[in-house]
Amino acid sequence: MPQPPRTRAVRSIAVLALVGGLLLPAAAPAAAADPLILRVGTDQKLETLNPWHSVTVADYEIFQLQYDLLVSFGQNLEPSPGFADTWESSDDALTHTFHIRDGMKWSDGEPATCEDARWTYQFVLDVVASETGYVGSGYLEPYLTNTGAKTVTCTDASTLVVETEFPTTLLTQAYIPILPKHIWSQYTQEQIGDAEADGFFVNEPPVVGSGPYVAVEWEPGQFIRMARNENYWGKAGAADEVIFQTFAGSDTMVQALKAGAVDYIRGISADLWDALEGEPDIATVEGFSNGYSYLSWNTKGNSEGYNGSTSALTDVAFRDALGYALDLDKLVDATLAGHGVAGDSQVPPYHAKWYVQPAERRTFDLAEADRRLTAAGYTRNAAGNRVDKDGKEINLRLTWPDSEEEMATNAQFIQGWFAELGITVDAYVTEEGKLLSDLVGPGLDGTADWDFYMWGWVGDPDPMSLLSFFTSFQIDNLNDSFYANARYDELFELQQRATDEAQRHALIQEMQEIFYRDSPYHVLYYDNVLDAYRTDKFVGWINQPPEGGTPIFGYGYPGYLALIDAASVTPEPTAAPTEAPTASEGAATPAPSADGGPASGGDNTTILLLAAVVAIVTIVVVGLLMARRRSAAPTEDE
Amino acid sequence: MGLQYVLRRVATAIFTIVLIVLLNFLLFRAMPGSPERILLGRMPGVTPQILQETRERWGLDKPLVPDQLVRYVASTLQGDLGFSYSARGRPVTDVLAQRLGPTLLLFGLGEAFAIVMGLVLGAYSGWKRGGVVDYVGNGVSLILYSTPYFLLGMGLLLVFATGLGWFPTFGMSTAGATYAGPVDRLVDYGSHLVLPLATVALGLIGQYAILMRSSVIETLGEDYVTTARAMGFRDTRVLRHHALPNAMLPTVTLVAINLGYVVAGAITVEVVFNWPGLGTLTVDALSSRDYPVLQGVFLLLSVAVVFANLAADLIYGVLDPRVRT
Repeated sequence: MPQPPRTRAVRSIAVLALVGGLLLPAAAPAAAADPLILRVGTDQKLETLNPWHSVTVADYEIFQLQYDLLVSFGQNLEPSPGFADTWESSDDALTHTFHIRDGMKWSDGEPATCEDARWTYQFVLDVVASETGYVGSGYLEPYLTNTGAKTVTCTDASTLVVETEFPTTLLTQAYIPILPKHIWSQYTQEQIGDAEADGFFVNEPPVVGSGPYVAVEWEPGQFIRMARNENYWGKAGAADEVIFQTFAGSDTMVQALKAGAVDYIRGISADLWDALEGEPDIATVEGFSNGYSYLSWNTKGNSEGYNGSTSALTDVAFRDALGYALDLDKLVDATLAGHGVAGDSQVPPYHAKWYVQPAERRTFDLAEADRRLTAAGYTRNAAGNRVDKDGKEINLRLTWPDSEEEMATNAQFIQGWFAELGITVDAYVTEEGKLLSDLVGPGLDGTADWDFYMWGWVGDPDPMSLLSFFTSFQIDNLNDSFYANARYDELFELQQRATDEAQRHALIQEMQEIFYRDSPYHVLYYDNVLDAYRTDKFVGWINQPPEGGTPIFGYGYPGYLALIDAASVTPEPTAAPTEAPTASEGAATPAPSADGGPASGGDNTTILLLAAVVAIVTIVVVGLLMARRRSAAPTEDE
Repeated sequence: MGLQYVLRRVATAIFTIVLIVLLNFLLFRAMPGSPERILLGRMPGVTPQILQETRERWGLDKPLVPDQLVRYVASTLQGDLGFSYSARGRPVTDVLAQRLGPTLLLFGLGEAFAIVMGLVLGAYSGWKRGGVVDYVGNGVSLILYSTPYFLLGMGLLLVFATGLGWFPTFGMSTAGATYAGPVDRLVDYGSHLVLPLATVALGLIGQYAILMRSSVIETLGEDYVTTARAMGFRDTRVLRHHALPNAMLPTVTLVAINLGYVVAGAITVEVVFNWPGLGTLTVDALSSRDYPVLQGVFLLLSVAVVFANLAADLIYGVLDPRVRT
């Protein structure tokens, strides 16, 4: 050996470390951008700026930030000024007048007037009347058709009059963005609604809107950057820009929040969310979901061209009895790690104004389930299996879409509970697209070849849509349990037309009672929304609604405008001042725990660093020792 | 290198690509569920008429063979891969093109680093078998080789991004950053590149070093190396002119085949660092059932593997005279 290898190796390691130590920190980004940016992370993709094509919560969040609704939502979800300043309805609630703010401008400086609102609503009416019947994803039109709107006119530049076929209060709930006519009227319905049409209107940035922020940059699949709209009619938000960043993995998103690379993250898994508790400068928020996960029954069973496996499915008593065999609290614990509430009504408790808990709520009681099944005529045969009234053993098929992985846990429990009752359950996951076609009934050329299945729904600020899924007019559409009840249908129409809130409440309460009693669904649980945000860059986070809401990803944009630059609040913010633009009273932000014990954030990292150093040292030392021993040992062939 | 050899290789490659295109067609048509339902999703107000229109527009009302097949092959040949379902209004080719660059950058550089460092480390370890570099290098190589990308990536992310804050946690650049100049921009992109690049390179170095080491050790025992030494050539000359060229053969194959798997390997690294490449695109497309995009990714990936193999064959031909005919 010409040179002792050891010294050379040691020297080069030292040099490497030195170079690394010098170079690496220098390469770190020094680009601290000047504008105050609110960075929002989401695991949903950001794929459209054309509001008619919005599907995901993230899509909606972006369009409602850059376009005003005719009437927006305040912190308590109450109607609050949007594109219209004030509004009133005639005594018969058939004529609705909206006063459009004078002197309002679009972000490009063009005047924003009644004509823009009229054009937008007329566009929807025209779409619905057209041969296609829908535009884009088809989600927004029902907000207007549900109100029975028939004519939309401008009596002058600032007065919009909508006439409806029947009395309604729902126009203030219409989730339809008011679009600038001078931009959108250049395109045909096909170019707006059909993504594959020639000349499809993508609505590339810079977007012209009337909301507080408008999109100025879009990297599809990565981020959408929105800048403050200087022409916005209300109080300017503290953030100069809002950037929505999409993440492929939840872990990376959480790391980005910890590192301060994003300020707010939405939709974190329970374990990651739990682990964020106590992190310095990070607040976690658990919001009620305006939706639920359900178990839907094929209530047509094996009749009329439907292909359920047993006639028992059509029997209310059968479905009711099985409701006692579902331990919903257990499912909340096992599937949601406790982040949810056991379900009952089709109107989630999120709708504090409308939700009514059933008077006689089923409790988990297998003996009771057994008793009720037997009483209803479903007895066990000699083998211990439950038989239906046709004398056939009841073997049910349970499925769920592959997009809802966690449902597999529910299925295991349900299998176990039903087995105790002598009902075997064949549980399997189905590819989402296949499930969509499997569910369809004979009315849409389908076979409805299924027994019960699990999925979820998400609602609006008004319970209309969630109530509509059980009307018979929605069969072959969104009524996937094929449930039909004349009284329910009647109540639906009555509440749609009810102008008195107490009256409507009574109607909706009866609908909830019928739903719970007839059990076309068993609502399994209301899954909570798990978000987290940093408190060192912005303060003044308010929840919408104050009880059980989240700061953003709600309805309208009060949460964005309530934010305050943390740097402008000099002393440490213990109770963040809140100033909601519309709400009378803002809920105090959960203050960051300044006394969270010894700085715990670095602990993990220190351990990891130590582990890495120990590992490297061990490898080097072992290597050296081995080399030594080897050179000391009698040489082999060289 | 004989022309016949080249022609034969190219012909095989073309034949394979034709098979891939056919397979791609059949695979996605064999998916469960009716495509028109997937297209429409849970849209309210679906009527039989809307279903029928959707079928007609996507040509789903025509028989699979020959109509749909002919349509598919013809448009694929024209470079028309259809429209992405989720990226509304954007052709698949656009979506792929946008994501190809970042992946090529990350894995091109990663491969380059790994090839140079892995081969040097491997050759040196093999040559100085039993030395410190061999022991340490081989140990580290084994550990790196056996560590999955996402674990390595997460470790680097936790330590150097979240912990020490030296590097950004995600993405290819800072969204919404305003740059003072090109240097500024380069620094921003560069700092975003460091960790994902390190993950890719470290993951590959181990593999290459181990293979190169054993290959060098093997050739060192060959008669021609002993002869060369007996003739009194200097060690470095023996290594450079006699041992290395032969030891390179298996390594070239591995490297070339690896190049084809760039996209496959990309998935986990890209997801960990939220790198806007083909890997994250694949994950997104899978979760949103964007079949046209998935089909495009599959086509791109399999064609890349075929080309990489072709390249390996051709380089092999240059390196090893025995396979030229």
